[in-house]
Amino acid sequence: MIRSTSPVAELGVRAATPPALMVGMFLFFAGHNRPGGGFAAGLIIGAVVALRWMVGLRTTVVPSQLMAAGIVIVAGVALAPVLFGSVVLDQAVWSTSLPVLGKVKAGSAAIFDIGVSAIVVGLVIAVIDGLSPATTSAPEGQSS
Amino acid sequence: MNSLAFVLVLHLCWVGLSACVPSSQGRMVLRLAAIPPLVSTVVALGVLLGSSGDAPSLDVSWVPGLDLEFVFQIDSLAALMTLLVSGIGVLVFVYANGYFGPTAAGTGRFATTLLAFSTAMLGLVWADSVWTLFVFWEATSITSFLLVGHKSVDAAARLAARRALLITAGGGLALLAGLLILADRAGTTRLDDMGPVGGTAGGVAAALVLVAAATKSAQFPFHVWLPGAMAAPTPVSAYLHSATMVKAGVLLVALLGPALGETDVWKPVGIGFGLLSAFWGAIGALRHTDAKLILAWGTVSQLGLMIVLLSAGSGKAVFAAVSLILAHAVFKAALFMVVGEIDVRAGTRDISALSGLGSRMPLAAMVAVVSGASMAGVPPLLGFTAKEAAIEAALKMDGLEALVVGFAVIGGSVLTVAYTVRLLLGLFGPSDQPATDIADRRPAMAFPSALLAVGSVLGYVFLGTVNSLVRPAAVQVQPEAEVYYLLRWPGITTAFLISVAIVVAGSTVGWLVFRRPLGVPSPVGAGVVDRGTDGVLSVARFVTGRVQHGSLPVYMAVMAMTVIVAALPFAFDVEPSAIYLWDSPMQGVLAVVVVGAAVLTSGMASSRLGAALGLGSVGVAVSGLFVVHGAPDLALTQLLVETVIVVGFVLGLGHLTRRFPSAKAGWRLLRLVVSVCVGGAVALALASSASNPSGVPPLEDLTVAAVDEGGGNNLVNVILTDVRALDTLGEVVVLAVAALGILALTESGRSRKEEVA
Repeated sequence: MIRSTSPVAELGVRAATPPALMVGMFLFFAGHNRPGGGFAAGLIIGAVVALRWMVGLRTTVVPSQLMAAGIVIVAGVALAPVLFGSVVLDQAVWSTSLPVLGKVKAGSAAIFDIGVSAIVVGLVIAVIDGLSPATTSAPEGQSS
Repeated sequence: MNSLAFVLVLHLCWVGLSACVPSSQGRMVLRLAAIPPLVSTVVALGVLLGSSGDAPSLDVSWVPGLDLEFVFQIDSLAALMTLLVSGIGVLVFVYANGYFGPTAAGTGRFATTLLAFSTAMLGLVWADSVWTLFVFWEATSITSFLLVGHKSVDAAARLAARRALLITAGGGLALLAGLLILADRAGTTRLDDMGPVGGTAGGVAAALVLVAAATKSAQFPFHVWLPGAMAAPTPVSAYLHSATMVKAGVLLVALLGPALGETDVWKPVGIGFGLLSAFWGAIGALRHTDAKLILAWGTVSQLGLMIVLLSAGSGKAVFAAVSLILAHAVFKAALFMVVGEIDVRAGTRDISALSGLGSRMPLAAMVAVVSGASMAGVPPLLGFTAKEAAIEAALKMDGLEALVVGFAVIGGSVLTVAYTVRLLLGLFGPSDQPATDIADRRPAMAFPSALLAVGSVLGYVFLGTVNSLVRPAAVQVQPEAEVYYLLRWPGITTAFLISVAIVVAGSTVGWLVFRRPLGVPSPVGAGVVDRGTDGVLSVARFVTGRVQHGSLPVYMAVMAMTVIVAALPFAFDVEPSAIYLWDSPMQGVLAVVVVGAAVLTSGMASSRLGAALGLGSVGVAVSGLFVVHGAPDLALTQLLVETVIVVGFVLGLGHLTRRFPSAKAGWRLLRLVVSVCVGGAVALALASSASNPSGVPPLEDLTVAAVDEGGGNNLVNVILTDVRALDTLGEVVVLAVAALGILALTESGRSRKEEVA
């Protein structure tokens, strides 16, 4: 098991986690108008999970469940328009004015992107979990 | 709300909710499962009674660009079938309440699956587009697979379920091919608008459709799945193998007869299937002693008769076939129910082991005698008038056709009477054995079968009502059927005399074979199917063993060779004038310096970690190239992917030694050559694609569309999540499936290691 014996490394990773997740979230929302998007955000979050994994901070997220949730989300967004008499994958855009933030615009594509992110994060966790050597005792929450 | 949509949604929601109920509450699920079919029966009755001209229809567009849509319509034929599917469905659910004792396990699962099947069947009979038809056709195959294999701990049931699935799903493939040809030739996917299709293509389509119908309706030689399917609980047999599943094939022949009936193939192939089945099924029914198998083989025979009549396609024949569909569903469901009741109460359904049931189960005996008489075509019952119509239809034909159809109808009927007599004598007749002990009556089992037996009688009494059900349905298939009607009392006609002769001859044969066990036939066909399946599996094992031998270098070499071979044809397309060094010198710097250095590092590195990092830096450099080229999205994604890959590498390397094992110089050279060749091949392919631009990308339009419709300014992401969202959907699903594969592989690897340790 690659387990950090260095408390410094562990602390460093712990400290880096929130800003890294912030970057991920930023990329997620930036994707609307600038480079970024669900896939990139998923990779960043996946990389954070991987980094924590390397210093021994395991996640309890079950990758298969995360991916299943992602598929349900993307499929749901894809099919939802049919219920409202539209065609598959037609996009809905809502915009509204909020205090502080001003004009906010959200499309169903954002929800679609959440699903994409979930699948990518699940994939990264699955790969990391699969590749990390000698995890003889499955980590908590790991389904077989 | 549209009544069709309401019924379908009700069914689907009910199935979904039932599936969520914990298995301890299975009885409740079973008790309530009759409600959706009851509702759809009422709707079907409403359609039949209400004389408002337009048939209710429902049209759900799903992917308009691909002409994919769900189209439903309750026309006359569909209404009649709905009455059978849902009406008998209600009775079967009631019956199942009695069939499964209070302690039976899995009743909830059973009820849910049966309701799902019922839903699929409704969709099938309502379908008005070939694609809708196909989707629900396959749905019935899958749900019936689950139903046949309901007793999943029983190896025989699993085998029978697999056999049924392979044959009916194979038929589904034939159907898909046939429908594709048909839709293409007819120029429409709507069953309503389809004109006659001819020519070679029409002939091929006709043959494929008939094969599909034969697999579903258990026609010779595809009938082999049906006897095995008797491993299912009896409510399933009473439902699937009398009124619904097996009728789907007959329905298909009826629905597509107008479009394909004029091809040269349709009549001979359809009549051939039907004729062989009518006889082979009846012979099978005469030889078995298991009452349920007798009924199953009898079904093969009866369905054969219907297919013969429908394929012949004259007005009277179609009319007779539709009458038979109705009569057969009513009496066969009742007979299955009685046999199930005997099985539950007496503990066996083998006619050679039963004795003295006639006096101990008087109600069941009455139901069986009435339904059996209807099956044999004895007045005053519904089966009599239907068979009479079939005989008249045969008499009305000329030449060879009259001979063949007459032979099928009369010969099949004689044998039907014979196996009916044998079955009834075996179940309830006198026997020299001591009387069988029987358990208490279960009202929930007795009631539905009694109702169906009464139905056989009432059908004869209220023949006018039956006529008004059957005639419009037949007219829909064949307009000439308009002039025909079922006769209560034909008078002393040729057909009636033939009928009498059939009953006399059949009873004699039945009486003669009753005491003489003919020897149970070995399930030859089923064995062939099973051996075929096992053969495919062992070939697959052999091929896998040869191809997947587990050597990573060989896998890599195969992939590399594939790339090289695939790229070779592009070599001729390369336009040297279109190739230039760079857009900006920065690209050159990145390409030469960074990529070159990285390649050297990974090539020369003696430690694995160093090589992995070197490869990572190649990726970063490529990312830099994207930046220079003005593609920040690509660059960002490339950078992130590269990072995650390096992390994966580092984790994976923990399994291996730190340093590369020393390799012979020859091997190193070989690997070098392969690498260079692959690189060259990819470069060649790229150069060729750059030499032949196939047009200017519609950037302007896309940008406008992105902002207007996608609501975003990032063109790349709008394409990913909106314009080409279907592609993205497919890609992420592939991604998830790949990840599941990784999980499965690593899990199995681990558990194997643990076993060793």
